[in-house]
Amino acid sequence: MSDKNVQRLPAEELYQKELDALIAAETDPVPTGWKMSPRSVLTYVTGNTTVKGVPITPKYMGSRRLVEIAIATLVTDRALLLIGEPGTAKSWLSEHLSAAVNADSTKVVQGTAGTTEEQIRYSWNYAMLIAKGPCPEAMVKSPIYRAMESGTVARVEEISRCASEVQDALISILSEKRISVPELGIELPARKGFSVIATANSRDKGVNEMSAALKRRFNIVVLPTPPDIQTELDIVKTRVEQLSAGLDLNARQPDAGTVEQVVTIFRELRSGATLDGKQKLKTTTGVLSTAEAISLLANSMALAGSFGDGAVSPQDLAAGLQGAVVKEEDKDKIVWKEYLENVMKKRGSAWLPLYRACRELNS
Amino acid sequence: MGGPVLFGVRHLSPAAAYHLRRALDEANPALVLVEGPSDLSEELHWFCHPQTKLPAAILAYTQDSPVRTILYPFAEYSPEYQAILWAHEHGVPCRFMDLPSSVFLALGPDWAAPKEDGEDKDAPPEEAPSPDIPTTEWVYRRLETVTGEDHDAFWERRFEQLDTPGAYRDAANTFGRELRRLAQDSPRRTAENQVREAYMKRTIQKAVETGVPAERIFCVCGAFHVEGLEQIAPMTDEEQNALPRAVSHATLMPYSYYRLSTRAGYGAGNQAPAYFELLWEALHRSGPGEAAYLYLTALAAAHRGAGNLTSSAEVIEAVRLAHTLAGLRGSKYPCRADLRDAAVACMGHGHFSELAAAAAQVEIGTKIGALPDGVSRTSIQADFYRQLKDLKLEPYRTAQAKPLDLDLREKLTVKSEAAAFLDLNRSLFLHRLRVLGVRFAVPVQRRQEKASWGEYWTLQWTPEAEIEIVESALLGDTVEGAASFALRERAEASTSMEQAASLFGDAFLCGMPAAAGYILSILQRLSVDAAAVSDIAGTAAQLSLVIRYGDLRRFDAAPLIPLLSQLYLRACLTLEDACICDNSAADGVMKTMDSLNAVQLNHDFLDETLWLSLLSRISDRDDLNTCCSGFAMATLLERGKAEDALLEREVARRLSPGIPADLGCGWFEGLARKNRPALITRLSLWRELSGYLDQLDDDAFKRALVFLRRAFCEFTAGEKADIAENLGEIWGLNAQQTADALLRKTTQEEQALLADLDEFDFDGI
Repeated sequence: MSDKNVQRLPAEELYQKELDALIAAETDPVPTGWKMSPRSVLTYVTGNTTVKGVPITPKYMGSRRLVEIAIATLVTDRALLLIGEPGTAKSWLSEHLSAAVNADSTKVVQGTAGTTEEQIRYSWNYAMLIAKGPCPEAMVKSPIYRAMESGTVARVEEISRCASEVQDALISILSEKRISVPELGIELPARKGFSVIATANSRDKGVNEMSAALKRRFNIVVLPTPPDIQTELDIVKTRVEQLSAGLDLNARQPDAGTVEQVVTIFRELRSGATLDGKQKLKTTTGVLSTAEAISLLANSMALAGSFGDGAVSPQDLAAGLQGAVVKEEDKDKIVWKEYLENVMKKRGSAWLPLYRACRELNS
Repeated sequence: MGGPVLFGVRHLSPAAAYHLRRALDEANPALVLVEGPSDLSEELHWFCHPQTKLPAAILAYTQDSPVRTILYPFAEYSPEYQAILWAHEHGVPCRFMDLPSSVFLALGPDWAAPKEDGEDKDAPPEEAPSPDIPTTEWVYRRLETVTGEDHDAFWERRFEQLDTPGAYRDAANTFGRELRRLAQDSPRRTAENQVREAYMKRTIQKAVETGVPAERIFCVCGAFHVEGLEQIAPMTDEEQNALPRAVSHATLMPYSYYRLSTRAGYGAGNQAPAYFELLWEALHRSGPGEAAYLYLTALAAAHRGAGNLTSSAEVIEAVRLAHTLAGLRGSKYPCRADLRDAAVACMGHGHFSELAAAAAQVEIGTKIGALPDGVSRTSIQADFYRQLKDLKLEPYRTAQAKPLDLDLREKLTVKSEAAAFLDLNRSLFLHRLRVLGVRFAVPVQRRQEKASWGEYWTLQWTPEAEIEIVESALLGDTVEGAASFALRERAEASTSMEQAASLFGDAFLCGMPAAAGYILSILQRLSVDAAAVSDIAGTAAQLSLVIRYGDLRRFDAAPLIPLLSQLYLRACLTLEDACICDNSAADGVMKTMDSLNAVQLNHDFLDETLWLSLLSRISDRDDLNTCCSGFAMATLLERGKAEDALLEREVARRLSPGIPADLGCGWFEGLARKNRPALITRLSLWRELSGYLDQLDDDAFKRALVFLRRAFCEFTAGEKADIAENLGEIWGLNAQQTADALLRKTTQEEQALLADLDEFDFDGI
């Protein structure tokens, strides 16, 4: 049994009950190497149902269609590339997909600027290599190597942060579906069921563009920001509750109105239009992701809990909003000011305290 | 059995058309009856004419204002069209069997086929059914919730993909039956259906009475009506006579796939005509499964045609993915949504936008129908001639060019409203024609710039104008509707504020508030991206004009106010930065400042303090173009918002010793652009200027001279004399002497000096 005191459990352990129930209730054909049928994977990810008395929680609250495309991609043994702005649940979805397909979401390569080709293919335990010479025991297999061996799904996080030559190492793996180890004179063919889920950031600086050759080997799914305000409100509320419960903030949950105001502001500035679509707005240089809204609210709760009366006040919010919206001093300041005057000011009394607090900070 | 063969279809459904033809072959009927207005049966033969190319539509319209229309569009894959064609090929009589169009038109707009709203202000608001009553729409929505897909995808999976003989007819009839059982439409809708079904039944009965055996009659109708036709009693003669009728006309008109795709609603169009044609083609090849290959290869070809790289490997992957997606949804073949999503994941790098152009080509297409010459007599032509008569413009419909002068003001001496606003209505009509590109009336430049109530036109009739009107039929049913559609379409395509603002101007001149409102929202969208403050101010000035003079054209300008406020705010926020510019750009900035100033003065709802504080900031700052700073000062002065002390301080500061000549005199130039009399009377100003010039060394003075000459060149002789008087006073000279010295012709000696100045090296000024 795993240690429950770790900060964060992998998805397959956290949701083991749900996975077990889905596997037990399976009626559709299961692809080779999978733990359950594609339809059950879909049920696991989109949730909102009960299987064999076990409620399945929704993991991804977005377009069901995108999840379908992602699963269908894995069925056709193509690699899957999830692209999206920061905070659009790319890694979250990738983790849950591999947890549902293989009950194992831990075969991960964390892409960084320092990731080397060996971490994609294999490397050596040099002490043993010197002692015994090249032998299978001296080999350190990469997560992708292990996935090919076992016919499971490997994950590559932030693939666009890796250097181009490291990305290129994936090309032959994905087209040939085999790795050769010249030192041992062997060649490892991938077992059925092997696939790769990669994630990449679409609005990040300091990334390496993926080559066309590599992109062609992936089916690409772009994860959007939450499609409507209700979805985003649900995500923000759920996550703020989860987050603040663990942090002991001494503040009350922000009321529904406050959350709605923050999410509205974020959505409007992100999409460059008011929610009713009647008025176009300038967008900010920053991304204003859902994840940022969540941390902003948690931060306001910390402010209210530590220095205020425990209730999130407009002033607490305004400080967070100013920081979130105005990333590049000059440009964003004008955007924010226009938004305050053209949109927020006209929204009536419920918005007035927040408008005042924001205007004061932005002047 | 003995009853007629009832074949339930969905309009514009390729599978229905395909299976219908098989069923016709099998039944070999003696008479084919098709759902459609029975008074238009004589138009049917045009569909079979060798020169006719689909898509085409039957259009019925009323002659009188307000013009009401109903439209029956047909495409190659329309089951109705295929039934008509089959009958023609086999020499079997074929007729329409639904209520006559005159009855449809008389019963009002709710009864007609769904049509888009042009400038239809009189149309009664749609009855909003309460959400609990399961109307047909409610059933459709419910289906969408249950399947998680839109109705088109549902229909495609469940019906279009059926490939066993007879299955389609059973499925469609069952669907219609179940829909009837579930849906409880508003009494009006139910009554409508009953009347129509009774009438159709009557048509069948009449046919039987003429001696055609009932079982040899083949009826093509909407799947919904099948059960109704089985059960309802035929309409009696009295009932038929009681039906209201309107005077109506009907014509065939060429139609386009694009128009078909823009008309939403059951039967009136579909979202992807070209894709449906592709389905139709697939059915004739190997079956519905072929469509996936046809679609994806066509999409790849279109995408390549636009200069993109798409490999066959990607197309193959897309086909595989589409099939898996269809499998996940439990259907046999991929539908359009599957194909499109697969193409986006495999060929479009996850972004639909990359494939949008190719998808439009493959799904909507650009096909336009054609008809034999002289067949079309469209409602827009009728509307044009009716308005020509109403507006007493018929005498102008000659080959000879005639001028027409309009006075847009309300005539108070006449009794009827039509007469009081005759000229205004004429103006609106002519502007609408201009927007449609009908070369009948050409506006002549206004003789008096300021008189906004006068308008001058030249009218001349040419055969081309007639053709242009017929072409406009594709845009709408009336001149107004077509102009509105054209403006909206152009507005959507416009990329700059200038374009959108001029379209807005057109909508204003055409007196179409709905279109104007729509363009306004596009203008708002564009204004966000507009960086140049001059564009913003220009648009603001134009809007301000409409707000002030909109009354004349009886135009409600209130919706403009929020946008004007926004533009004003944005201009205020960006004007300051725009003042960091070189001298050549300063001119434009000052014009912008002036027009913004006028806009602010004309409208109380614009925040005055904001403007004044901006002006004083520009006037105070030293790091902006001094010309602009000077002009801001002048504007403040003109508005009486600058104290004398402030002016004095500023003059002293701007013209203090050590300030480079181009900066000092540049500021003065800006200041002297406005309210000169006020400046001239301020003696202290001239004293400061004189003092400033005195302390300049020779070279600097020559430089200053250039700027001062530019500043003073626009002053009138009288003003110059006044300045001379001032200077004389400062220098202790006789006013007369100085004036003489100033106004006399330059001597040769001075000419030479000035010529020297021309060669003076201004350090690249």
